[in-house]
Amino acid sequence: MDVKLFEKHLESSKEFELIVISDEVRNAVAESGIKNGICIVITQHTTTGIIVNEGLPCVEKDIEIMLERLVPQDYPYVHTHMLPSYGTCAGNSPGHLKSLIAGNHCIFPVIDGKLVLGHAQDIYFAEFDGLLRRRYYIEVMGE
Amino acid sequence: MIIDMHMHPVLLDVINDTDEKLFFRKQQFGVFKSSKMPLRFALTLMDDAGVDKTVILGEDYSADSAMPLVSNDEIRTVMDAAPGRYIGFAGADPRKEDAPQELKRAFEELGLFGLHLNLSRTRLNVEDERVQALFQICSECEKPVILHAGYSWKPDTPSRYAEPILFEDAFINFPGVRFCLTHMGWPWWEETIMLLMKYPNVYADTATVYMDSPTKWFKQLFSVSMDIDWLQNSFADKVMYGSNMPRWRQVRSMKGLKDLPLRKDVLDAVLGQNAERFLGKEAVSGR
Repeated sequence: MDVKLFEKHLESSKEFELIVISDEVRNAVAESGIKNGICIVITQHTTTGIIVNEGLPCVEKDIEIMLERLVPQDYPYVHTHMLPSYGTCAGNSPGHLKSLIAGNHCIFPVIDGKLVLGHAQDIYFAEFDGLLRRRYYIEVMGE
Repeated sequence: MIIDMHMHPVLLDVINDTDEKLFFRKQQFGVFKSSKMPLRFALTLMDDAGVDKTVILGEDYSADSAMPLVSNDEIRTVMDAAPGRYIGFAGADPRKEDAPQELKRAFEELGLFGLHLNLSRTRLNVEDERVQALFQICSECEKPVILHAGYSWKPDTPSRYAEPILFEDAFINFPGVRFCLTHMGWPWWEETIMLLMKYPNVYADTATVYMDSPTKWFKQLFSVSMDIDWLQNSFADKVMYGSNMPRWRQVRSMKGLKDLPLRKDVLDAVLGQNAERFLGKEAVSGR
């Protein structure tokens, strides 16, 4: 079995942002040379997520509204204080909790050298704590 | 115009060309897990928050460390890399014999717009003649002074050198110098507001979020510990927005101020107009 790991970087431009990365994942699968197996997309962070949904602005807005309703910006969170080990303030509890809901990865089949996605599916890097420089991994495993 | 009065440029890529420099700054400043920040990204953060100009603070404690935390030449480098966006304040370590010459060089050759001092880090009393000599230069050159006041997150910074009331004689002896007390002098905010009201040349910045979210913190400080009308009616012309970047992102610290039930004229004054007056026309319009 072959394993190919791709490290990807991006910069979010909003506090909440759904960034479509479907083409990056397709290209990584093609570049990997792996014909049959699986592809895993994994975020490196704790205030982001990897999600799959339909790439429509109205759906994206509903996702944002739902997450904001569940995890509002203003709430007496515990994670709001100076972190001596960082030297910066913890002001991003909503991002951590939205990340928990979204999950840190998604898995897809690879068949005949191609990523298998449903016709309505897009892959998103979900930013919940922007603006920040971010990193995620695409790992392709198979034969 | 919105002006952020308080940014430490310790993480910017344009002054951290080696890993050793970045490591030194992270240890000295106490941002241990932070990463290098591209200047382009710092400007994006400013734009996102609606900040037009940011004051960047030079810091020199090289009497007991390998190099200035951020040298005056490095402050100039940041200003030149983003013309019109940053207003540079010089650092000078009063414990070094050449501090007066270095400060004059920063003003006359590098074009920096004021002096920044953290006496907790240098463990000097404000009445020390070496500190007074730097104030005298600021008086002669008509440059303002940003004085660290209150709690400092920086390592090795005993707070007793930064109690606002200790600076009172300087405000009297240098009436032509505008002084900014950082962090509202917290936890000595009562001393700070007394000094704001008593001395026309004294200002303070809001880089003061030490606990809770900015919204909760500013509500507690300005409308519970104080009455909100104290700020609105007694020293609205003396308080200046400061983010304390990189410890707090500008957009978040500013939200805390915007969430206060302030009159628009007061919010406009805090976010920029007071800083324009404190800094002077040359700094605000300069490059």
